[in-house]
Amino acid sequence: MNRFVIANPEKCIGCYTCEAGCVTVHEKVGLAAFPRLQVTHTAVGTMPSQCRNCDDAPCAKVCPVNAITFEDRSVQLNESVCIGCKMCALACPFGAITPYGTMPKGADDGTYGTYPEPPPTPPVPDDPVHPLLAWTIGQRSVAVKCDLCHFRPEGPECVRVCPTKALFVVDDDHVDASIVRKRMASAAGYIAKG
Amino acid sequence: MTDVTTVCPYCGTGCSMRLSTKDNQIVEINGDPTHPVNGGDLCLKGLYGFKHVASPARLTTPLIKRDGKFVSVSWDTVLDAITERVAAIKKESGPDAFAVFSSARATNEEAYISQKFARAVLGTNSVDHCARLCHAPTVTGLSMTLGAGAMANSIPEIGDVSDLVFIIGSNTAECHPLIAKHVLKAKERGAKLIVADPRMTEMANKAHLWLRVPLGHDIPLLNAMMHVIIKENLHNADFIREHADGFDAVARAVENYSPERVAAMTGIPQADIVAAARAYATAKAAAILYAMGVTQFSSGTGNVVSIANLAVITGQIGRPGAGVCPLRGQNNVQGAGDMGALPNQLPGGVPVTSNPGRARFEEAWNVSLPPRAGLRITEVPNAIEAGKVRALIIDGENPMMSDPNTEHFAKGLDKLDLLVVADLFLTETARRAHIVLPAAGWGEKEGTFSNTERRVQRVRAAVAPPGEAKPDWWIFQAMAQRLGYSGMAYQGPQDIWDELRRMAPGLYAGMSYERLDTLPGLCWPCPSEDHPGTPVLHVGGVFNTPSRKAQLKPVLFDPVSVPEGERSAFEAPIIGHIAERPDQNYPFILTTGRRVYHYHTGTMTRRSPVLEQIAPEELIELNPQDAKTLEVSDGDYIKVSTRRGAVVAKAWVTLRVPPGVVFGTFHYWEADANEETSADDLDPVSLIPEFKISAAKVTKSSVAEAQSSVMSKRVYYREDVEVAAIAEMHVHQEGRP
Repeated sequence: MNRFVIANPEKCIGCYTCEAGCVTVHEKVGLAAFPRLQVTHTAVGTMPSQCRNCDDAPCAKVCPVNAITFEDRSVQLNESVCIGCKMCALACPFGAITPYGTMPKGADDGTYGTYPEPPPTPPVPDDPVHPLLAWTIGQRSVAVKCDLCHFRPEGPECVRVCPTKALFVVDDDHVDASIVRKRMASAAGYIAKG
Repeated sequence: MTDVTTVCPYCGTGCSMRLSTKDNQIVEINGDPTHPVNGGDLCLKGLYGFKHVASPARLTTPLIKRDGKFVSVSWDTVLDAITERVAAIKKESGPDAFAVFSSARATNEEAYISQKFARAVLGTNSVDHCARLCHAPTVTGLSMTLGAGAMANSIPEIGDVSDLVFIIGSNTAECHPLIAKHVLKAKERGAKLIVADPRMTEMANKAHLWLRVPLGHDIPLLNAMMHVIIKENLHNADFIREHADGFDAVARAVENYSPERVAAMTGIPQADIVAAARAYATAKAAAILYAMGVTQFSSGTGNVVSIANLAVITGQIGRPGAGVCPLRGQNNVQGAGDMGALPNQLPGGVPVTSNPGRARFEEAWNVSLPPRAGLRITEVPNAIEAGKVRALIIDGENPMMSDPNTEHFAKGLDKLDLLVVADLFLTETARRAHIVLPAAGWGEKEGTFSNTERRVQRVRAAVAPPGEAKPDWWIFQAMAQRLGYSGMAYQGPQDIWDELRRMAPGLYAGMSYERLDTLPGLCWPCPSEDHPGTPVLHVGGVFNTPSRKAQLKPVLFDPVSVPEGERSAFEAPIIGHIAERPDQNYPFILTTGRRVYHYHTGTMTRRSPVLEQIAPEELIELNPQDAKTLEVSDGDYIKVSTRRGAVVAKAWVTLRVPPGVVFGTFHYWEADANEETSADDLDPVSLIPEFKISAAKVTKSSVAEAQSSVMSKRVYYREDVEVAAIAEMHVHQEGRP
């Protein structure tokens, strides 16, 4: 079974530390400096959403250049091979893949950012199209998704930095334990009802 | 790499952190696992918000404005210039022509020396700091009722002891994430969580009971809770008899605030008001957490007094886990007030009007001190307008963006004969100064901060300041010496701290640097070297008031005006109302606050690329119902205007705000909601502005309008002045041809 990271919404306080941690470690190793999980606010609560590393991953199936492969009980995306076709993002049922590009210097329209190093802020298109298909002059995008920080022996950085310990890695043991616990509860409930 | 342990520079939680440095640069920050408050964890500002320290935009030389352009000069030249102008103004207009804005961001030692500079060197009590804009009603409201304007419990008690946490007007998850962690810990332990907030914050989402109180209606809610408690005999009659004065008047005042009436006034279900009242009164140890959602109103003091009334009549105070907990927003805002950076108080809370109190300081400082309270921050713009204040010294604050009604404030600044600003950057405020002084910042200097729970902790230097930047204490001392004052010859922060310990021994005598260096801080009062500090205030119901009893006060409210008949039934009641209600032209309410990823006016966090990447621009919260009426989709630009100004930013269509309310922040100069707030609608006791309520108009905007709005803000905030000054300093650093 593939491993994945998920948050306990009871503990998530929507503080975005996971996103900042994610960007920081990926930038350091030369991968796209973009958060691979997104804090998502809903009417009933908030939690980050990210890749479930599906065992039968639709993103891997639709990728025309085999940039998405199964490695070490996870789904890995090779940012160098990716051609930015966005099919994986459309196929993903969780919205866990985001097309993201680095803006070359000078392509910024200058709406925002005034400090000596202007932050990369994509300009707003005049006629918005579907966000997955939006593009900007001078910007080449690749698909970005959670890679479980495979380059970090300590495991995912979001899990380490989450101040409320809402994030955790789900693996076989975890799922097995959860299934056994629920079986016990279900059986006990059934027996008690007679 | 070397590690230095220090305290986070952002909110008032006071998390301890370890800075890893290499080649005089901070490279990584991690939480201090031994600390009782944060236990190894930090939020994203603490972990990643340090890139400003090495920013190329840092001020590296003193600057003097000549012919509208800043010129780099030496410290000698700049100090001569200040001395000359200060002496001239003092001679012409007297000491009260000066005002000093001290800083809640600097250390205790620097806050102490700034107020000593104002009082002993300039000769004025007009020294204040930005607590005027955040927790001034806490200081006035809790001082008049409980005798101490500070958090009554330590943070770990919330997680370890409280079995009910009542959060009112605090977006704890975003503004104090590591305190929110203790609230979650309490909840996991089985504690009940009640949240009163107009916005669906993360804490509201997590509450067992969420009371969606409309903006400005805290008093009727709290009065209704007390009404239920007294009617159902859930108040603590023994505690009231032994430890409180004024219960009868409060009981009479809340009589008129039945849950039926308040439910009709506020829309909060009657059953919820009753349930909240019962749960709070019957808890074993209930803590009330509150912040700007209580204080930033024209009835701020009334809101705070109501909270104190509720805690006292139920006896939910003076025990571990039970008390009133104002959550302070800045790393040293508690300390700045304690150090006497207030126009009416000397260090240690001594009133400037007290003859014996003043005499001690006069003897120690070898000067005579002014006996009348000085001007508060919110009075200064009008005093400048009236020609009373001619010179303003600002230490590490950016009031152009943080104070209400920017246009009004800017007019004041431009009328000054002398504006001196000491800061890390050429902020929106500094750009309008005559003289700018480069200050060493957090991570570059030694001293102490006092966090929200009164915990005094050591902060330490990890890297050297850039260029010729100097610590604020050095700056004030250098100015004082030039002006001929002999009472400032400190070798360093420890000397200043030891003077404070002698001047306010009841609070600090036991807090030597030696002790602070080995302990995770000490909570005041700590009167002797063998004293363990005081995590819980008001133990055993003993209050620091003349009668040693809590002073309950009736608080009355009506959105428009409390009827004369109701007022006259009480001797000196506190009255609350809403100053600017929505009308036909301005049908919305604009409310303001912070978001988790940026800090205040953004001078620091916006220079940390990862924080700026996550949150590069203002998002104004807009209810889906209003979005539909305005034909606005999520991410469309909207324009929010009030009688004082307008901003254009993207809409975040979300249920977080109720219909009729929009929420904006003061993090972005491109769209600073404070431009739109009123500087006239002040709480009569504390003079805090009503940041939380402005009548507003919301219209759909466009990309073109957003761009032209940003261009005009660029001119308004004089961005070109900063760009030119940075270039000038770089040339200066490299040596002129």
